[in-house]
Amino acid sequence: MLQSWRAETRTNAAPLSPGALHAGTWIAFLMLALQPLVTHAQITPDQANQIRNAIGNRVEALAILAGDYGITGGDFRTTGKFEGNETIDAEMVVTKLGGAGDFGMPRPVGDLGIGWQGRLQGNMGYVEATNRLHSPLLEGDVNNFKEYALEFGGGARFWLSDGLSLAPTVLGIYGHTVNSYTANSPFMQANFVRAIDMGLVNWSVDTWTLRTAINIQYLITWDRTRIKLSSEPTYYHTESFNSSNANVSLSGDSHSIATTIDIDVPLGVELFGHELRSGGAFERTDLFGDLRSDLEVSHIDEVKGRVVLDFLNELWKVQWIGVSASYAWGTKFSGWTAGLDVVFRF
Amino acid sequence: MTASILHRAMLNPLSLAAALAVSGCWTAPVADVQPKGEPRLIQSGIGVESVKDPAIVQSVDPSARTLVLSSRQGAARTYQAPPQVPNLDRIKAGDTVRATVAEELTVYVLRDGQLPGAGGTRETITSDARVLWVDPSYCLLTLRYPDGHDETLKVGLGVKLGEMEAGDDVVVRPLELRSLQVQAR
Repeated sequence: MLQSWRAETRTNAAPLSPGALHAGTWIAFLMLALQPLVTHAQITPDQANQIRNAIGNRVEALAILAGDYGITGGDFRTTGKFEGNETIDAEMVVTKLGGAGDFGMPRPVGDLGIGWQGRLQGNMGYVEATNRLHSPLLEGDVNNFKEYALEFGGGARFWLSDGLSLAPTVLGIYGHTVNSYTANSPFMQANFVRAIDMGLVNWSVDTWTLRTAINIQYLITWDRTRIKLSSEPTYYHTESFNSSNANVSLSGDSHSIATTIDIDVPLGVELFGHELRSGGAFERTDLFGDLRSDLEVSHIDEVKGRVVLDFLNELWKVQWIGVSASYAWGTKFSGWTAGLDVVFRF
Repeated sequence: MTASILHRAMLNPLSLAAALAVSGCWTAPVADVQPKGEPRLIQSGIGVESVKDPAIVQSVDPSARTLVLSSRQGAARTYQAPPQVPNLDRIKAGDTVRATVAEELTVYVLRDGQLPGAGGTRETITSDARVLWVDPSYCLLTLRYPDGHDETLKVGLGVKLGEMEAGDDVVVRPLELRSLQVQAR
């Protein structure tokens, strides 16, 4: 069981800062992308090109999954039939520490009737994904990806009313991906050196990703309950800039729109001197561009739940401490996360 | 097919924004307003914990275990130091300290600083601060002091935050010292 840790910042005036891109979005990418690299006894140039394209998408997805704030971490597993009639066991563990939030009280923009406040977002992440291949050609082979990533950037949130706000942001993600392949099958043992020379396995690559997004958020307070409705169209452009093999390079564009409803409910009961709060969220993420067409994933659904203790204004900048869990599902995968939920408000 | 899905997905945030944009303009919170309703006492005896950082020690009486502190939050106030606050005899007037203190708030709706009393008399209330912002969800009360400094306080679940609003007058009564750290001498 994976224990993950999450921290996100929030502010007084905009207490519900959105995660940029949620785990579920990228779980599907990885589950699909982590298919066997090589499926035939001969590696023809045409096959190699197809594989390189797949590798590009794989790296792009890994860089965004590890580097982008939104998912805390988790253990995602799938066993079953995938595209190309290959059967694989795939497991991916995501560990992240990051946050996104608006800071300070909103300040007026002239006499426009608009308030603004700064917004920062950052994250560091590590993803390890392992495939145990079970196709007749690659039976017993193990393919492994390790991704280290850093994200930082910011923007501003503009309050058009007491409830409605828009937050455009620009962020950069640095990613370092390492692929290692253990060849146990007769086919890969026979073609292993050729596969390495072609940059199909056992390579490393550095990437940068430009991430631009605009978060549209509406806050509703009903009695003491807070309901946040938000939508975040996001664009990613990823390119490689340093690779261990000249054949490994990529340039890709990805798009997503995450639509979320989040409910934060104070329970009116104190535990250890702090009020108990409950809440949850449902998010649907629609995918567009390369990732959607190449990976044939149209959308991801994710449901989250949490039980926390309110520490706001009582323990430094901590808003709450508690536990949370989420479950994400799509057409060809499922995944979960669980762990400590710590939220800050600056 | 792809175009229609893209169109539909893009429409969601746009229609959300359009539908909600009519909900009015943003207004900055202000404390210098007359609250609604007749002058009245809303609630007294609201216990809070406040951090005075920095605060200047005006005087110390170790035998009576009292301390007079001045801070940005208003006039000098006298706090009782319970036995668990150590080394009070080492504190001297003029020290800059970080003090965590217990206080009690009383919140009023006043008109011209006055509250109607019994028999048609009018009682003048000297307010120490005014309510700037109320967050009932997280039990937060933000006060604005006369020097323009703001302070956000956590209040208990029983506090009538739903009846409070910007512009309400607040009287602060000092109670006791909870902890003290000397910052500079």
